[in-house]
Amino acid sequence: MSFWFNLVKDVFLRMLQLLSFSRRKISNSLSIYIKTNTGSTLSVELDPKWDIKNLKEIVAPQMGIAPEDIKIIFAGKELHNSIIIEECDLGQQSILHAVRTPHKIVNKTRNTDLIEESISETSDLNDSSGSKPMNETLMDLSLDESNLENLSLKEQQENRAHFYVYCSAPCKNVTAGKLRVKCARCGSGAVTVDRDPQCWPDVLQPRRITVNCESDFCPVTSSMHKDETESQVSYAHFYFKCAKHPSLGENDEAVPLYLVKPNLRNIPCLACTDIRETVLVFPCEAGHVTCLDCFREYCTVRLHERRFEFDEEYYTLPCPAGCPNSYIREVHHFHLLGVEQYERYQRFSTEEHVLRAGGILCPRPDCGMGIIPPSIEDDRECRRIQCIGGCGYVFCRICLQGYHVGECESQMSDASTSVFSSNYYSVDPLKANQATWDEASKKTIQTSTKPCPKCRTPTERDGGCMHMVCTRAGCGYHWCWVCQTEWTRDCMGNHWFG
Amino acid sequence: MAALPRRIIKETQRLMQEPVPGISAVPDDTNARYFHVIVTGPEDSPFEGGLFKLELFLPEDYPMSAPKVRFITKIYHPNIDRLGRICLDILKDKWSPALQIRTVLLSIQALLSAPNPDDPLANDVAELWKVNESEAIRNAKEWTRRYAMDN
Repeated sequence: MSFWFNLVKDVFLRMLQLLSFSRRKISNSLSIYIKTNTGSTLSVELDPKWDIKNLKEIVAPQMGIAPEDIKIIFAGKELHNSIIIEECDLGQQSILHAVRTPHKIVNKTRNTDLIEESISETSDLNDSSGSKPMNETLMDLSLDESNLENLSLKEQQENRAHFYVYCSAPCKNVTAGKLRVKCARCGSGAVTVDRDPQCWPDVLQPRRITVNCESDFCPVTSSMHKDETESQVSYAHFYFKCAKHPSLGENDEAVPLYLVKPNLRNIPCLACTDIRETVLVFPCEAGHVTCLDCFREYCTVRLHERRFEFDEEYYTLPCPAGCPNSYIREVHHFHLLGVEQYERYQRFSTEEHVLRAGGILCPRPDCGMGIIPPSIEDDRECRRIQCIGGCGYVFCRICLQGYHVGECESQMSDASTSVFSSNYYSVDPLKANQATWDEASKKTIQTSTKPCPKCRTPTERDGGCMHMVCTRAGCGYHWCWVCQTEWTRDCMGNHWFG
Repeated sequence: MAALPRRIIKETQRLMQEPVPGISAVPDDTNARYFHVIVTGPEDSPFEGGLFKLELFLPEDYPMSAPKVRFITKIYHPNIDRLGRICLDILKDKWSPALQIRTVLLSIQALLSAPNPDDPLANDVAELWKVNESEAIRNAKEWTRRYAMDN
């Protein structure tokens, strides 16, 4: 009972509190935070139907100044008085910034001398008219720097930017995203951009768009009157937030999946030819398009075949049409595959990185620990590898069987038992052989595969000719199934088809 | 069986409505992923006048994996083995989901026009094609007459 009483009391008090700010009724409240340039944060409840002028009236008494002296900044824009709150794509717990308009405040005395200096100098960069919020003005960003020229109003409406992000917590999913901006120097959100970003490089690369930072604590703002050199310019730092969950504060960011776009141009998918709402545009010159389902399938098939490739340090895929320079550089896009497949992607990626760095994967089943051994100088010493930090297995670097003295045995038949040669019990070696855990798979691998002559990856030939191309990332060796050496013209002539 | 992907339906419809000249591809009555294909031997090739039967199968993960294609009619060709298997890069590692049944069949037709004994070769056929081209062409014509006509 006391719970209900408290709840009712709470609501009632809150209503009273709000009514004291304004005589309006709140139909559908939005709870947001207002950060002032003096560093304090106010929590307010808003009606999405209100405009910015109403908001200023609420905030003014708390800041101790007149409403007309306040500038409201959100997502890099100063919002003018007539903008309706619900047009601004504010979510629950979003943060707005309220700062004093400079010209009115020059004579006011403040405790911190810092503030006075900053305010008197920020001059007329932003006249009090303000502008529309970023989500209203921002066009769909192109991948390169080509311009969207002279679009009609209707086209502008249709080209309104949509963003997709990977929200690592709490959504753990690909969601709609919101573009936000802060000062690259001080991290404050109280900035207005000098122009809207027009393309993805504007957003992703630093030092492309300048901002006017209104934070009193920004080193740029406070020192501007002394030294207005090039180095004192503030740049925009763009970042993204997930639009699906209430903001969890200023550090709650999400990774932009910039290849995912709304299919505004109705381009059919390269693979299934359907026209879908959301597509992935590959970074090739042609900008090939796949729907997200086909993208998932493409990645899954390539993952099954372990045919992701290295593009510099990225373990990734190119455009499925085989275009040059079309690798996906933001590997978070593979989150589109879902949790399970993404984990697999991560594991393969790690393993391939270890192998590429000259490392070894522990051969013990269910271990697979990555080990970077010292380089081979003394062959004999370095052949013994112990899986430290993993299962502790001691094995031979060359044959990947249990460590042994002397030459490696060419086939693996006895190796599995020789590890445990100091058995206390006497066991029939034949039966012991049959009873080992992965003997069956070893046998299958042994009988159905041949190792790539270059990288030793067990390779299965499931039909076709004798010309093998190793599909392991970074190998790609052409070899002959019959000779088990490099593929030559003689192989073609003599036993191309066996 | 799982529903047929729309892409396969669309491709099939287009193959029926606007067939590629010299190629017919008809899905099997009981399996829409299995196509009965007939390719006519291109003019000015040793295969002219022949009708070559092929089978084409779209695997489960088509179009992410290549279709499987095989000649059923015997053919004397340096790039096709005696079981009818074709060693064509776009059917293997050069496959891309941007390719279609149509483009695969066109490539196979082009392969008949331009046998390539210098690159991938098929044992004795290729050997002869290189050593004695006129005899190889005579063989090809003979096989075409014997296996690919009046059937």
